[in-house]
Amino acid sequence: MTVDHASQAGYTAGTDVPVIATTALTKRFGASITALDELTMAVGPGITGLVGANGAGKSTLIKILLGLLPPTRGKAAVLGLDTIAQGEQIRGVTGYMPEHDCLPPDVTATEFVTHMARMSGISPTAAKERAAESLRHVGLYEERYRQIGTYSTGMKQRVKLAQALAGDPRLLLLDEPTNGLDPAGRTAMLDLISRIGNEFGISVVVSSHLLGEIEQICDQLIVIDAGRLLRSATMSAFTQASQVLAVEVDEGGDLLAAELAASGVSTFRAERELLVLIAGDATYDAVRDAVAVLGLPLIRLEQRRHRVEELFRADSALAVAEQAGTAAGLTGAVDGH
Amino acid sequence: MATDSAAGSSGVSAGALAPGTGVIHDIGYQTYDGPRFGRRTIALALCTQSLRSAFGFGRGAKAKIIPVLAFVIMCAPAVVNAVIMALGRSHTRVISYDAYVGSLRVLVLVVFIASQAPELVSRDLRSRVLPLYFARPIRRIDYPLAKYAAFALALLAVIDIPVLLLYFGTIMQVHGGAAIWAQTRGVVPGLLVGLMWAVVLAPIGLALASVSGRRAFSTGSVAIFMFMTWTLTLVLTRIAASTSPHGSGAHLSSTAQVSAAAHLFGLISPFTVLDGVRQWLGGTSHGIVADPGGYGVAYGVMLLAFLVVSLGALMRRYASVSVS
Repeated sequence: MTVDHASQAGYTAGTDVPVIATTALTKRFGASITALDELTMAVGPGITGLVGANGAGKSTLIKILLGLLPPTRGKAAVLGLDTIAQGEQIRGVTGYMPEHDCLPPDVTATEFVTHMARMSGISPTAAKERAAESLRHVGLYEERYRQIGTYSTGMKQRVKLAQALAGDPRLLLLDEPTNGLDPAGRTAMLDLISRIGNEFGISVVVSSHLLGEIEQICDQLIVIDAGRLLRSATMSAFTQASQVLAVEVDEGGDLLAAELAASGVSTFRAERELLVLIAGDATYDAVRDAVAVLGLPLIRLEQRRHRVEELFRADSALAVAEQAGTAAGLTGAVDGH
Repeated sequence: MATDSAAGSSGVSAGALAPGTGVIHDIGYQTYDGPRFGRRTIALALCTQSLRSAFGFGRGAKAKIIPVLAFVIMCAPAVVNAVIMALGRSHTRVISYDAYVGSLRVLVLVVFIASQAPELVSRDLRSRVLPLYFARPIRRIDYPLAKYAAFALALLAVIDIPVLLLYFGTIMQVHGGAAIWAQTRGVVPGLLVGLMWAVVLAPIGLALASVSGRRAFSTGSVAIFMFMTWTLTLVLTRIAASTSPHGSGAHLSSTAQVSAAAHLFGLISPFTVLDGVRQWLGGTSHGIVADPGGYGVAYGVMLLAFLVVSLGALMRRYASVSVS
């Protein structure tokens, strides 16, 4: 409680314990369903993206982290607190925003968030203040005196975030916060999360199945698939290892791939694009020549940041080749800045 | 990197979230340094909030109609008693403390429970707000326990405040310390009977109401169970009484063999069980249906069974609610 919460520097310096740490965390439902499989990972302060397809085990992981579900095997700790033995303490310093709708329609946002702040153990008067504060932080002003039932989806999402924020948490667990929002709403929500993580000094774990949007705001990414850890790394590691050239041709992508392979350049198909690993300036020449030789209608040639989407195909040729091809592997990569 | 995006996003978010109102937001985030209460205080806060909502406080005017009406109707006999005593020559109470007006009490309580128990449990199920409660520093069991305490207190208010009114209305008309003392000694068992009713009926109502997040189903399950068991008890007891060789209508003889059935049919409805236990424990006023006869113990056991089963069902209901 004495940690200077507003400055992230003070916060990180004061704590050596990871925000979240799991060891061989396994959760089985019955004999056949394995939701989490030997998941070992550590999450540092800042904003962490928890990425995985629907059913990958994100929600199960969040439930275990909140101490609401005992793991079948393995251990998990949040802010140094054991999820099995110290669940209540964890929930006292953690704000949770569920994926689904969870707001009563016939009360005002102010009343609801005040009540939820009290449920976090805040005193009655402070709960009122914090509710007003939280709603202001998420951008609800005069609307907060209206019944929640009259709100748009975007406003409801903000109320959900405000109730998680009202208890002054050290950690926020946000389950798919951008679900159901239009593009403008997504941007606003992501900006808000970014602000909470960077300015408010609250560690945030934000889960999403939409990879592209989450990479913009995260300091760290955890990718899980079928309950297993695919990758865990800081964002700077991802961007470092992103020497990828995207080539888009109207037709003849396979021909181009074959031509490039013949000249010793490795390529991988990604939907309509052909991804080319950049080995040096020669790679650009090879691509240019190949397109010219085949006379293909070139639409786009773009060097770009590594897209998080590619993480999903960790066992794909791209990932394998990339890890072999780049000196800086993802694991243990240091911040480049 | 962190500082870059922080500086960038603060401007963007203020603009994107609240166009034209970006002035106030510079106050920044305030941490909370005050006391953080544990599960006991949180559960108490939840209990208080639920008790208020049982009477529609903090909600619209519409939510207050049924609970307030039920309360007023329950108080009516006490008022009538006070008036009769004030106008009449004889200063005797016309309503008993321990049974009050039995059938009115049953009727009002069925309506009150059927309409207000869903208010406490069904709304939260429907709006799926429970994961937010369970993600807070309480245990699963705290939620149903807080709801139980709140609803039992609400029922206690509806049952015992009229009894207290009856008491005050009476002692205003009697004279002498001895008379007041006699009334006081009479009202205490009456209040305790009310407590027993509240404690047993609250979990039955909540367990039945928590079957569904749909209010109609929730209310329906309470109303159907309570009316069905009540009617069944009434009808079966009447039949048993009228077919008894010595049967004389509502006045049940305890000697005949058939009337054993008449005594036992009272075990079906929670209301007659409650009233039977009252008589078994020494309540002298005429009961709502039948006296338990020699089966007082059976009524006691049945009362415990109602309490344990309904409380167990309520706890189990919330142990199985999914969090996400």
